[in-house]
Amino acid sequence: MNLTAKQKKVIIGSLIIIIAIGYLIYAGMRDTMVYYYTVSEVLSKGQSPGDKGIRIGGKVAENSINWNEDNLDLKFEMEDEKTREKLLIEYHGTLPDTFKEGVTAIVEGKFSGDKIFHAKTLLAKCPSKYEAKKN
Amino acid sequence: MIPTLGYYSLIISAIFSLYTFVIVIFGINFKSYPLVKSSKNSLIVSSVFVTLSSLLLLYSFIKRDFSIEYIYQHSNRSLSLTYTISAFWAGQKGSLLFWGWTLSLFNAVLILSNRKKDIEFFPYVISIVSFVQFFFLFVLIRVADPFSKTFDSVTGKSFVPPDGYGLNPLLQNPGMIWHPPTLFIGYVGYTIPFAFAIAALISKKLDNEWIKSIRRWSLFSWFFLSLGILLGAQWAYVELGWGGYWAWDPIENASLMPWLVGTAFLHSAMIQEKKEMLKIWNMALIILTFTLCIFGTFLTRSGVLSSVHAFGETGVGPYFISFIVLCLLGPFLLLIIRKNYLKNQNEMESMISKESMFLFNNFVLVGIFFVTFWGTMFPVFSELITGSKLTLGISYFNKVNVPLGIILLILMAICPLISWGKTSLQNFKKNFIFPIIVSGVLTVIFYAMGVRKIIALIPAAFIVFVIMAIFMELFRGTVVRKENTGRNYFISFFTLIWKNKRRYGGYIVHIGIVMMYVGMTGIGAYSLEKDTKGIKPGETFEIGRYKLLYEDIKYLPSNTKEIVYAQLKVYKNNKPLYRLRPEKNFFPNSEQPSTEVSIASTLLEDLYVILGGYNLNSGVASFKVLVNPLVIWMWLGGIVIFIGTVIAFWPNGKKINPAVNSAVNFNIENNQEIK
Repeated sequence: MNLTAKQKKVIIGSLIIIIAIGYLIYAGMRDTMVYYYTVSEVLSKGQSPGDKGIRIGGKVAENSINWNEDNLDLKFEMEDEKTREKLLIEYHGTLPDTFKEGVTAIVEGKFSGDKIFHAKTLLAKCPSKYEAKKN
Repeated sequence: MIPTLGYYSLIISAIFSLYTFVIVIFGINFKSYPLVKSSKNSLIVSSVFVTLSSLLLLYSFIKRDFSIEYIYQHSNRSLSLTYTISAFWAGQKGSLLFWGWTLSLFNAVLILSNRKKDIEFFPYVISIVSFVQFFFLFVLIRVADPFSKTFDSVTGKSFVPPDGYGLNPLLQNPGMIWHPPTLFIGYVGYTIPFAFAIAALISKKLDNEWIKSIRRWSLFSWFFLSLGILLGAQWAYVELGWGGYWAWDPIENASLMPWLVGTAFLHSAMIQEKKEMLKIWNMALIILTFTLCIFGTFLTRSGVLSSVHAFGETGVGPYFISFIVLCLLGPFLLLIIRKNYLKNQNEMESMISKESMFLFNNFVLVGIFFVTFWGTMFPVFSELITGSKLTLGISYFNKVNVPLGIILLILMAICPLISWGKTSLQNFKKNFIFPIIVSGVLTVIFYAMGVRKIIALIPAAFIVFVIMAIFMELFRGTVVRKENTGRNYFISFFTLIWKNKRRYGGYIVHIGIVMMYVGMTGIGAYSLEKDTKGIKPGETFEIGRYKLLYEDIKYLPSNTKEIVYAQLKVYKNNKPLYRLRPEKNFFPNSEQPSTEVSIASTLLEDLYVILGGYNLNSGVASFKVLVNPLVIWMWLGGIVIFIGTVIAFWPNGKKINPAVNSAVNFNIENNQEIK
């Protein structure tokens, strides 16, 4: 295949862009990649691998929310959707509206030596429909 | 009775769309005009029936027929009429019906505006659009029937509940009325350009006519997609209460991805029109855009990725995955088969030309798409490959996409100053000196005023550059017009735009985009955030130059909801300004509160207050406060984008609507042999 000089330029230019984007992706991933575990996976693994934080997904266990409105301190148990194992989570800050018992939540943070997970961020999935109050 | 009628309308509609698909293929094969005509009519009949079905669902919503499960789950008697209507698209089934309905209306418009006899090209378009229409109807009938009855989970019998669950309080926001339909219109709209592209591939009518005839459809879809994304961002900003407008959530990304590729297409299509280049690339872009629209619809409606927004898992997954695979494999296979018909007529003349700038812009846009796609799907990929799920945080997207976004801004800045074909050094100097000086001087002023962050200074410099470049274009054009016509500057300016609607409409859209960059830069680089807790009435706290005096907290019950609100008096530089009233609302039937943030918006910054927690007895409360600079420019930018799009969209007076007739013109203009 014979390439003209211009075609070569275009190909070289494109390659540079692709490599640059590839590098950006690599660098971005290196710093921000975190493991995502379910509660039972985390419990079976013990504590957080290394210094990096992890994400944990699970259900907010019934009757486990301890919310101090004055201090914005939250403690709750996260339950594995399948095995029903539980993990104590601590969080400080305002709560998402969707956060309540029974919803799926995702926390990101670290263990700090003990069995308690300190969440830096807390996300709660918004259900598309009402979960009606049970009478 | 009505639910049955609604469901059967869907079935009839599906049958007619399937009939269209089959009969139009026969029509094409036998070159039979009556068959093609019959297919057109039957697709319109299909549209009528899906419309009937949608209206029946709407009627049942208004009549509060809770024997229909979908209505039972998404509305209740205390819901206002507006939100009752918007509950139509609050869940999966209704959204899919809305998709199918919108598509059917677009198809009807398409057929009615292409009534003339045309056996060569248009029937292929019909075959594609009718197939997509059939797909959505089929999914509705099979796994997402919006008319299915409410069943009692204990007895297993259908019954009529006295009241419905109601609409999620988060969805009771004006955003709910406008954001989903606009986004859907954008998604659905891309079906038409896709259909034209595939029709061109199948029929081998692969000159530029197809790309010209879909210009308006793709601009239209692009605009609605942009608007939908922006409305969603604004909704998130005011409702979700995290103080941000974008969190790189999978569902947000799902809407951004087709926008990125669609934007790339909008630009590269221009190169094809002008230079007969990038033909394969354009095909690939439009196929990808449409597939991403379907993918976006699917992501929202599946449980594939954990997202704040995702709806529950349902049975639509396998159907959508098969459809997406079909939408990608079929067309790309076809593209490979037809690649010899898609040879470029011209070559890139110079690396410093509009064409090459457009090409770079395309690479960057597709690059941002890829980055976003990779980050969004990474949990899925990593689980497939390593067995454990890895996720990428918000900072991944920001770290990678912000530099790319800045490159895009730079391209936007220099592109208007570079000519098609080749740019001489002379020209280059003449065009660049003025913007460089102005943006240089202003950047120094920004620096002196205290803008020291590099992440703010670089965008600021190029934002000024873009505006200067466009201003220069307008100024020069106006002067030339004035000299030629002898009219005054004012008239010359407007006739200049009016005679080149497409070009200047595009530039105005760029101004809107740049205004959004202003907002993104402001909030990205200089947002302040503060959590305060245990504040007693009468106490103050500070953020930036603001001082907030917490006056008191009140409880306000009413029939539809209970409101708890805190009252804060805001001082800036010790001068009292206004009061803010962040709230928490509680709806009957719902355990979930709805946090209503209180925002004071100015052109310079937003003061944003969230009521975090409170104790009604002691009056002690906690707040999250943010100062978000320049946010309002994002929303203002949206308005400018709207104006620019309307100008670019507006038909040229003299010609008869080209989009309408172009499909017909295919036959007339397209007789040259392709060698």
